[in-house]
Amino acid sequence: MTGSIITRRALIGAGIAGGAGLAAWSLTRDGGAPSSSRNGSGGNIRVAAPSASTADTLDPAKGGLSTDYVRHFMLYNGLTTIDDGSLAPHPSLAESWESTDRVTWHFRLRKGVRFHDGSELTSADVVFSLRRHAVPALGSKMATIAEQFASVRADGRHGVTIELTGANADLPTILAQSHFLIVKDGADKPDGNGTGPFRLQQFSPGVRTLVVKNGEYWYPGRPALNSIELISIPDEVSRVNALLSGDVQLVMALNPRSTRRIENAPGHDLMITPSSLYTDLIMRQDTMPTGNPHFVQAIKHLVDRPLVNRSLFRNTATIANDHPIPPFHPFYNAEIPQNTLDLDKARWHLQQSGLSGVRLPVYASQAAEGSVDMASIMQEFGSRVGLNLAVNRVPADGYWSTHWMRHPLSFGNTNPRPTADLVFSLFYQSSADWNESGWKDERFDRLLVEARGEPDDLRRKDLYGEMQRIVHDKCGVMIPVFISLIDAFDKRLKGMRPVPLGGFMGYRFSEYVRWED
Amino acid sequence: MAAQGSSGVKNIAKIVAKRVVSAFITLFLVSAVIFTISGLLPGDAAQELLGQSATQEQVEALREEMGLNRPALVRYGDWLTAIVKGDPGYSYVANMPVSQIISTRLPNTLLLAALATLVSVPLALLIGITAAIRRGTTVDRSLNILTLSLVAMPEFLIATLFVLAFSVKLLWLPSIALVSPEATWSETMRSIALPVLSLAVVVVAQMARMTRAAVADQLDRPYVEMARLKGVPFPRIVLQHVMPNAVGPVINAMALSLSYLMGGAIIVETIFNYPGLASLMVNAVTSRDMALLQSCAMIFCAAYLAMMLVADIVAILANPRLRA
Amino acid sequence: MISRIASGVRTMPLSGQIGFGLVVFWLLAAVFGPVVAPYSVGAFVDDEVFAGLSASFPLGTDYLGRDVLSRVLWGARYTVFIALAAAMLAVFIGTSFALLASLRGGWTDELISRAMDTLISIPSKIFALVLVAAFGSSLGLLLVITAITYVPGNFRIARALAMNLVALDFVQVARARGEGPVHLATREILPNMIHPLLADMGLRFVFIVLLLSGLSFLGLGVQPPHADLGSLVRENLTGLTEGALAIIVPAIAIATLTVGANLLIDALQKGGRS
Repeated sequence: MTGSIITRRALIGAGIAGGAGLAAWSLTRDGGAPSSSRNGSGGNIRVAAPSASTADTLDPAKGGLSTDYVRHFMLYNGLTTIDDGSLAPHPSLAESWESTDRVTWHFRLRKGVRFHDGSELTSADVVFSLRRHAVPALGSKMATIAEQFASVRADGRHGVTIELTGANADLPTILAQSHFLIVKDGADKPDGNGTGPFRLQQFSPGVRTLVVKNGEYWYPGRPALNSIELISIPDEVSRVNALLSGDVQLVMALNPRSTRRIENAPGHDLMITPSSLYTDLIMRQDTMPTGNPHFVQAIKHLVDRPLVNRSLFRNTATIANDHPIPPFHPFYNAEIPQNTLDLDKARWHLQQSGLSGVRLPVYASQAAEGSVDMASIMQEFGSRVGLNLAVNRVPADGYWSTHWMRHPLSFGNTNPRPTADLVFSLFYQSSADWNESGWKDERFDRLLVEARGEPDDLRRKDLYGEMQRIVHDKCGVMIPVFISLIDAFDKRLKGMRPVPLGGFMGYRFSEYVRWED
Repeated sequence: MAAQGSSGVKNIAKIVAKRVVSAFITLFLVSAVIFTISGLLPGDAAQELLGQSATQEQVEALREEMGLNRPALVRYGDWLTAIVKGDPGYSYVANMPVSQIISTRLPNTLLLAALATLVSVPLALLIGITAAIRRGTTVDRSLNILTLSLVAMPEFLIATLFVLAFSVKLLWLPSIALVSPEATWSETMRSIALPVLSLAVVVVAQMARMTRAAVADQLDRPYVEMARLKGVPFPRIVLQHVMPNAVGPVINAMALSLSYLMGGAIIVETIFNYPGLASLMVNAVTSRDMALLQSCAMIFCAAYLAMMLVADIVAILANPRLRA
Repeated sequence: MISRIASGVRTMPLSGQIGFGLVVFWLLAAVFGPVVAPYSVGAFVDDEVFAGLSASFPLGTDYLGRDVLSRVLWGARYTVFIALAAAMLAVFIGTSFALLASLRGGWTDELISRAMDTLISIPSKIFALVLVAAFGSSLGLLLVITAITYVPGNFRIARALAMNLVALDFVQVARARGEGPVHLATREILPNMIHPLLADMGLRFVFIVLLLSGLSFLGLGVQPPHADLGSLVRENLTGLTEGALAIIVPAIAIATLTVGANLLIDALQKGGRS
């Protein structure tokens, strides 16, 4: 890796590692230990993720649920990977990359990497895999991101050049996501034939995926496990029971209320990964009464964040300040005053908005984690200041298409994104599809583009800092806490470490963990 | 007029023929109801599949591919003509024929239902008849309390308690049903034990109580008293006079309870992660997979109708008055 | 009226009296419970979750630190009223159709029976999921769903009973006498099937209480912060392993309510027969 950009990335990596190192604590005894088991004897384990559907897919571009991501990382590799708390992209199928203007990027591919069917990885496979996102009929989950790819072309047998539509310093990070994993050239309907650490043995959508070790994996010594059976257990209590009864060895997405059960079980460990996952209350700005700035302020002072953290999340969450950047992020702005529960202030703002006594429905659903209980808490404190919130719990089925952002007050839920730019441009830019509150701030939009192309890190931190302040002050979203990701596993499973992008080490555990009896 | 014996057989043949005809009417009605209410659901398969991140262009393209651009009624008509020929259609959500998806799930559901029936029916008859004969005694009262407290517990609580006791605490049985093609028979039995037990508990109490009520109702009839005065032994009265009259309501109640074992197993399927038809149907609802949804509904309906037919035939065979 | 009930209760067996006591207790709880509840249903009163007995929280606190007693009293109101209304509705509709079908026979019977088959053969919980997804969750919809679910079941049983009776001599005689269908239904048939029907209604009541809890497992029910008894069990399920009162109390509430209703109905059946 050469060029000015590299030092900058390295610097950021170190910064994030420092910040995350403090926050990303782990209860495992060897949570941070290197996982370079050489014996390779491994084990056969069964793991359970929360979601499954007949729509389960082998196509990385279409992955929509946690089970998909886990499955795809077992079978395929990306050009880059993010495998530790630093959130910095590391080489994977790409040995190195470079860009001088952050518009044109050159990736050099690792040589001698083979697909499960024995064919060699070449630039044609990469070009095919990245270009297919532009085909609408494919239904890629990253179609909007992939619009940034002006062109993707081969540069010899082991080189790929990507031309972007505008400067973006975060391309290597973006390419580490599961949707951009590399499939075989011409595989219109990928069938699991990838370069990944495991080969597909059996795939039954909505039921199970069975993979066995890829003996010819390009990374020496990996994977350590012999086989993995991936199942899904949507019911959380059942998931925990399955772990405690020894039916599965690793589970993700635990309810914080279950942590006590794991702590009391001698053979099992927890891994709590602070992340930038959040559930937010959306106040639509393009409609009254929620578009009233006083109303927004009233709501932001009407939530008891420590109570939410304590009773909903057993103090595993991180208090948030009504903007999407968590305190452990290197670009976090620590100077913005923290919004707290202040009934007098809330009452005053409410009176200013003229909304005292008005009955307002707020839509919550299991689909947005914790939102039903958060709504209950808001309702309770609202009743003390003359705000009559009526909780409307709706089924998870159809929530995102029919309720989310469709009412003056509804809850949203945003998964961890690898960069500040991604979360701001997907959810806060005024033109974004998911501009949840429908707000518009011209200065914010300008800063967003400026920060994306800004080479100087300190300057970039300032820009993102100001954007956080604007969101905190004006945007119609209330973010009470950042939710931590909770995994639990059999103690004999070694090498788990937190990756704040998702449970199961950002869905990538299969390659790194080992089994020791 | 035909002879007494063959008129019963003829009657049954007639009823079966009539039932087959009316079964088609019912199946059609079910498909019409499913079509109507699923039309009320927000969103379609393309939107649900693409999720939050979908662009309008993608949704349109996928709709085109899935054939969702044609009017709903036309799609329903196509499905209907296909199903009449025995083809349940294609699931564009799972990208495979519906028959293939169902063929992996239906045996699981049938196995679960069959085992739960095997456990619960004899038990329910035993409890119900014993309680009715021993009316007013301690036996009756204790059986009554037993069945009542079983009925009185939410299904998910019973199932969860079983898991906590037999899986988490005692480590005897798996907490989730790990049904896989390569599992041995004994592995399958072990992993299905708790779901069967939970389901049996749910239905046995209902069936036992209905059995007791129906038998007790007959025992109060004058003919029982008469037979007793004539000196007919009591067991014979129960078997030859009471049961034939009680069997109608009893078998009806049983058939109803047992039809619950398929579609109603949704909670047990959820808790034990059992890959059965009920959870498949819920999945079809959430993913707006109409062909799959309709097919699941057809199976549940057909199973129910078959059960009812058996119940009616048994009732007719048992009750001479209905035979005529 | 009151003296008649009192004398009726006195002559009941002990189990019936217990049942009567439990049913009356829960009816009173449903009517007056929310009035005497120490806290509001959604109030966060304690930092400790799943707390045990204490002077300020007689039945401890729930998974969010809310007062269990207050929530159970409110929950009883929802469960008792919904289940009672739905059971009566279901039995009324089901039996009416059953009488009509058994007396008219022929096409009427066929038509009603097919419609009932249609309703019953769609799994009720999945049916409920679809309806709630389509119409949103409301108390009215919950009532309709639970009632509709049990109409066909009651119809089957009532029809089987009525068919047996229609085949009997005294009904045939009355028919030959020229009595109208209303007379036949209410005077000849209904009185002779009232006990199994009452038993059925008791069971329907119990089923509906349990269906409500089953629906709560699937996330359907009364809007929060309110909850019916089943939802209270469901939402505190994580407290099961620590034996939290928050799950034991609503479970006991459901058990005593349903057992009480059954015992009472059993006793009424016996009383009616003597």
